[in-house]
Amino acid sequence: MREILRLVVVLSIICAVAGFSLALVHKVTKAQIDYQQVKFVKEPAVKRVLTGYDNDPIKDRKELEIGKDKYGRPQFLLVFPAKKEGKTFALAMETYGKGYHGDEGVMVGIDVESGKLTGIGITSHSETPGIGAKAVEPSFTDQFKDIAIQEDVKKKSDGGKIEALSGATLTTNGVLSAVNSALKYYKELKDKLIS
Amino acid sequence: MSDYLLLMVSAILINNILLAKFLGNCPFLGTSKRMDTAMGMAMAVVFVLTLSGVITWLVQYYVLIPLNIEYLQTIFFILVIAFLVQFVEIVLQKTAPALFRALGIYLPLITTNCAVLGVAIININEEFGFFKTMFYSFSSAVGFGLALVLFAGIRERFALVRIPKPLDGTAIGLITAGLMALAFSGFAGLV
Amino acid sequence: MAFGKEFTKGFWDLLPPFRLVLGLCPTLAVTTSAENGLGMGLAVTFVLVCANCIISLIRKVIPSKVRVAAFIVIAASFVVITELVMKAYFYSLSTLLGIFIPLIVVNCIILGRAEAFASKRGVIDSFADGLGIGLGFTISLTVLGCIREVLGYGAIFGHNIMWESFRPFSFMVKPPGAFVCLGLLLALINFISMRQKAR
Repeated sequence: MREILRLVVVLSIICAVAGFSLALVHKVTKAQIDYQQVKFVKEPAVKRVLTGYDNDPIKDRKELEIGKDKYGRPQFLLVFPAKKEGKTFALAMETYGKGYHGDEGVMVGIDVESGKLTGIGITSHSETPGIGAKAVEPSFTDQFKDIAIQEDVKKKSDGGKIEALSGATLTTNGVLSAVNSALKYYKELKDKLIS
Repeated sequence: MSDYLLLMVSAILINNILLAKFLGNCPFLGTSKRMDTAMGMAMAVVFVLTLSGVITWLVQYYVLIPLNIEYLQTIFFILVIAFLVQFVEIVLQKTAPALFRALGIYLPLITTNCAVLGVAIININEEFGFFKTMFYSFSSAVGFGLALVLFAGIRERFALVRIPKPLDGTAIGLITAGLMALAFSGFAGLV
Repeated sequence: MAFGKEFTKGFWDLLPPFRLVLGLCPTLAVTTSAENGLGMGLAVTFVLVCANCIISLIRKVIPSKVRVAAFIVIAASFVVITELVMKAYFYSLSTLLGIFIPLIVVNCIILGRAEAFASKRGVIDSFADGLGIGLGFTISLTVLGCIREVLGYGAIFGHNIMWESFRPFSFMVKPPGAFVCLGLLLALINFISMRQKAR
């Protein structure tokens, strides 16, 4: 009996010490890990849609909770502000839209002063190569530059300015819905985002 | 369904866990000198790997994520696997002595078989659902078993030939495994 | 002079993974370049030294029935620390090594040294043993990485060193090349030590 007690006590102490020190290391490194992950995955897209800033948009990012995923984890909207001399003049945010094969991630850049899009970049997709996957090409994404954001962005067939990808209507719709949801967040949360 | 078939072919032949992903190489070289030990190890791995893949998946989604301690994944998974192996050992001993005699001595070796922990982590990284996890774990284990048994078949013949002294043992084993990996990479055209 | 002896045996007498045929998975998987090999080797060294020291310190308190479980918990804790620190400060390396960082915990070198050495010897000896074996492993991995990188990409640590018309031998950086390369290197080491013995 004493033998078993000893086993349990020793193992518990080892586990407790291990757990405590890991929690400590986790706490110390967490901010840095988040920063690295966001930087590694998102920075290229942020750089594509924002220019002329003198801050680090990754470091100054804001995370706004916009719902929960199916495991009950909070989901965040990532917003990257571009600042010059401390003043935010443009934002980039990543939103998602449903394409032909699952979600498409789109980095949407918005010029705060002129109220126009600075451009978009596709961050993730699983569309058909050669058809829907053409969404990543500049010939498609460049169309979004300088479009006014007062109204929803639309395809030409719906009276808008965006030429749909041929043979990939669903992909185009996915990108548009991502862009429009970014605009919606922007209009709702504008004050919070710029301050 | 074709999704699952593709996953299976890929896990067994194309991305074979031993020859393309390099998981579980220690037992691969250690237990392949004789056909019967290779068979025993292969069976034990199929059994434990499928079980541990499913259980670690449950641990990840019903314990680690709700408690927000995903960073402890490694430590939890290895403990789950170690306990599972012990548990399987005891259960087999009590309920199926014949099976225990066949697999028993390989079971403790499985805790440190990195294929087991590796597949558990791959399941999470690839964001597989529950059934895909089960399927992928099983297929990977079958791939492991297949490669191990084939390799043992080749290795048994080494006893009959003269091998240059410096190459004898692990060295020739590694080179043979390389040739096998080359042969398996021919399956890449299948999908 | 025990310290020196325990330290240097890792470089030849027990040089992993050649003499001590343990830890083959990371050896084969991550040595596609010298940098990856070096990174992996150092990560293993860190875990090995820390785990060896702690296990040696508390070796008298651990009941022998549960020693393996205790070793696993201790090793896994240091692996998680390595994982977190690498993600925080060497992010691109940690994505390259990927799944093989958590797999350090089942690297037989760690548990092997814990069982065979650290659980029986003092802290200083265990430290020397861990450091020596760890650095030996690092050197092996880096050398293997160099060979494969030079032949497979014509570069070393990412710098081109081969002549212009050199055609990279891409077999070397693919999985089969890993096995063959390691096998030949092992044969070479066997050959050298056989010559030494014969003398």
